Amino acid sequence: MQLTRKAAPRQLISLVPMIDVMLILLVFFMVTSTYLNLDMVPVVDRAEQPASQASGSGTTILVRIGADGAPYVRGRAQTPEGLADLVRLGLAENPLMSVVLLPSSRATTQALVGTMDTLTTAGATRLRLMRLEGQP
Amino acid sequence: MKLSRPVRRTPPETIIALIDVVFFLLVFFMLIGRMDATAPFEVRPATAITGSDMPAGGATLSIGITGTLALDGTEKDAPALLDALSAQLEADPELLVRINAHRDAVMADLLPLVAEIEALGARDIVLVVTPESP
Repeated sequence: MQLTRKAAPRQLISLVPMIDVMLILLVFFMVTSTYLNLDMVPVVDRAEQPASQASGSGTTILVRIGADGAPYVRGRAQTPEGLADLVRLGLAENPLMSVVLLPSSRATTQALVGTMDTLTTAGATRLRLMRLEGQP
Repeated sequence: MKLSRPVRRTPPETIIALIDVVFFLLVFFMLIGRMDATAPFEVRPATAITGSDMPAGGATLSIGITGTLALDGTEKDAPALLDALSAQLEADPELLVRINAHRDAVMADLLPLVAEIEALGARDIVLVVTPESP
């Protein structure tokens, strides 16, 4: 008579430490992360053409951004709607019109971005940012 | 003789469902988030509705409300920051430079820096904005 030893049942790997590790990782990511919805606005673009080519045969409109954040065209303060209308009119007359932005050194980033937003919404695609050398 | 009925054991709760949920949450947070060094000071980006999606990678330059500067999460003064950025641009001339400026940071802090970065050879400089209202 042959006696066979019963095979010992295989030890199961405990899942508890894995769950612990995953929970710790999850809590870590949830606690340390700051979720922000961020976009970008180009300031310098490699595809940008030199000023002489960019202006082409189109006209140029200069928009100054004052220290108060308001856009000025030909010395007159404009509301965002007024500026958008001016740009739309200009683009209707000349689709190659380019817009040069000259912000005051005391204007805020929000003022610059807000003005660029208005111009882009109005259809301006040729935007250039200008700075006066030596401006404090 | 009293016969007692053996207490019926309730089957243990399966933890597989819990593991699944935890794993999905973990993968979700790892996929949707982009790990990025945050500035050592508060930076609230400007709001814009015409911003485009920001690609991954590149160097992040932060400008605080008082003009303090940081590169990839480490506070630096302007010369040190430009040196570090110059080294990065030498290694990768196609480097995207993201400027994460506080919405109330003034142009006197932003524009000269943009000009200097452009002079270093950076061809892609973008301003970080947020589509959300403050």
